[in-house]
Amino acid sequence: MRLLLVEDNRELADWLSKTLRQASYVVDVVHDGEDVEHALAAGDHALIILDLALPRMSGMEVLKRLRARGNPVPVIVLTANASLDGRVKGLNEGADDYLAKPFQIEELEARIRVQLRRANDRTAPVISCGDLVFDTNTRLFSLAGTTLSLTPREHAVLEQLVVKAGRTVSKAALSAAIYDFDTDADPSAIEIYVHRLRKKLEGSRVQIATLRGLGYLLRQDDPAP
Amino acid sequence: MRIGSLRIGSLRIGSLRIQLLAWVVLPLAGLAAINLWTSHGNARATADLVTDRMLMASARAIAEQVAVKDGVLDATIPPAAIEMFDTGDRDSVYYHVETAGGRLLTGYPDLPKATQRGSIETGFRDHRLRLATLSHAVIGAGSDSPITVTVGVTLGGHDAMVRRLWLSAFGQQLALVAIAGVFVLLGLRRGLAPLIRLRDAVRSPGRSDLDPIEVAGAQSEIRPLIEALNAYMARVRAQMAAQRRFIANAAHQLRTPLALLSTQASYALRESVADRRREALVALQASSGKLARLAEQLLTLSRAEPGSRRPRADRIDLTEAARQVLEAHAPKAIERNIDLGLEETGPVPVTGDGTMLREMIVNLVDNALRYTPAGGSVTVKLAATGSEALLTVTDAGPGIPVEEREHVFERFYRIAGSAEEGSGLGLAIVHEVVENASGSVTLGDAAAGGLKVEVRLPLAGN
Repeated sequence: MRLLLVEDNRELADWLSKTLRQASYVVDVVHDGEDVEHALAAGDHALIILDLALPRMSGMEVLKRLRARGNPVPVIVLTANASLDGRVKGLNEGADDYLAKPFQIEELEARIRVQLRRANDRTAPVISCGDLVFDTNTRLFSLAGTTLSLTPREHAVLEQLVVKAGRTVSKAALSAAIYDFDTDADPSAIEIYVHRLRKKLEGSRVQIATLRGLGYLLRQDDPAP
Repeated sequence: MRIGSLRIGSLRIGSLRIQLLAWVVLPLAGLAAINLWTSHGNARATADLVTDRMLMASARAIAEQVAVKDGVLDATIPPAAIEMFDTGDRDSVYYHVETAGGRLLTGYPDLPKATQRGSIETGFRDHRLRLATLSHAVIGAGSDSPITVTVGVTLGGHDAMVRRLWLSAFGQQLALVAIAGVFVLLGLRRGLAPLIRLRDAVRSPGRSDLDPIEVAGAQSEIRPLIEALNAYMARVRAQMAAQRRFIANAAHQLRTPLALLSTQASYALRESVADRRREALVALQASSGKLARLAEQLLTLSRAEPGSRRPRADRIDLTEAARQVLEAHAPKAIERNIDLGLEETGPVPVTGDGTMLREMIVNLVDNALRYTPAGGSVTVKLAATGSEALLTVTDAGPGIPVEEREHVFERFYRIAGSAEEGSGLGLAIVHEVVENASGSVTLGDAAAGGLKVEVRLPLAGN
């Protein structure tokens, strides 16, 4: 899952993104409000974490513009101002959730999971496809009860496929969801990740199907007759 | 609040009501007393006059009854001459009629005589008497004419008349003083009502918000008091608002670093690679150091606030203070390869709060080092010119754009887009301290680019 973190305190942005990457999220960071639009145009972000006190354009303004353009991406607002007024105003402007600084990273992560679950119309924290299970709480994949060991990139590809299980995911969409701005997006590398994932999924009841010219699709093998 | 006080003997009276009452009623009572004394005299004179007339009338009545009967002078006392004194005061009447030759015709032989055409008061047989004497010619009495008639009366009726006349005057005066007192009290009650309302308004438990007080019907003497009170409350309110804003800002400023600390700790806890964990812990240590510095700055700023510390007038040598600060910051400068230097020509004594002035230099040097890139230079220069001490700190940082210069002394102001994580308090502290020490601080461009901060303070006299 690719997240956009908008926070002007560089140190906090740096360490927050590091911690989120530990949990296998793909994280882009921008430091001011005016860069948010460019960032959103350049990548497919599943969620925005937005600090309100930003230079040049306030977080509230960013949020207003985002919703005015009809962008439905979930937004969790971070702020040092914990007043009721501020919270209500933020939520009224279209924020999906509100978290006051200082916060514990566990709480932020839990709220991120809630928003992602809602965005994908899921209610259970566990996504399964055949014997492949993705626990969104621990952010770990397991195959027939055994934890799958994946590189961050493989994790990102498989997460994208499992969330959209049964539907086709284009190469471009995968690319937009797994690379952050600091990495040169290389669509051909996706084939390599898919290849490696297929190997790791060998012998299971799920497989990644290739639809030529369309993309990939995670599907469950039909049970043996 | 003291309106004034009146001293009566050793008793100090603080009540305006009693004071005003005393000021009105006591002099009035004094005047009334003088008036009463005079009216006593008047009553006496009136009684004297009335008594004297009666005495003369009585004497005349007696004298007119004296006639020569059968060649002998006969004095018969007509009862009316005695009865006219019967006023119910049980006065005794004495009389004495004698011939020109001094022969007693009738009456008390030893009764004293008054002067002609006048009356006297004298004692007679243990009584005090008022006497009048009349000389009367009797036709046909020969050498016995004129006769002399003396009538005396005890003073019962006379004194009763004096008392009656005087008492009525006394009653009137007393009523006058009492009525004046009542009116003073009523007037005061009306006059003081706005003050009482003011007191109630100030005391009212609902008054915690320091709103201006409105007192309807306040007189022009009281209005300035209310206005002064309101102005004072407005000042306090403004100060409280500034304080509240500052605390809100401070709390706000502490939230982000705290979130950072918590994030770094979480990262370190989750990281299994030893190097990365160590990196996170080192960063955490640095963050907590910064947080400590921020807390220290907040404390300094609240101490620099006017009224929060007793004003001090230490005599300190700025040169020595700067030397100490630079020595303390030398390791940081060396670590970043910054050329940190002191240029001085001797002691520069100034007067003020020593701790605060040192803290001011710390913040200037800290800022300069923070914004100067590695390999740059920071210079602190001290000079005494005329009556002024001049402290100049120049750095090789990016400087401050002219349009931002008036804002950077505001608390928590940070220049948009600046990458360095300052607290936004350093220059606010400098400004506050310098203002308190009656100095001025200006920002300029250093010759080699970068920022030049000039602090001017009055030189301490000898």
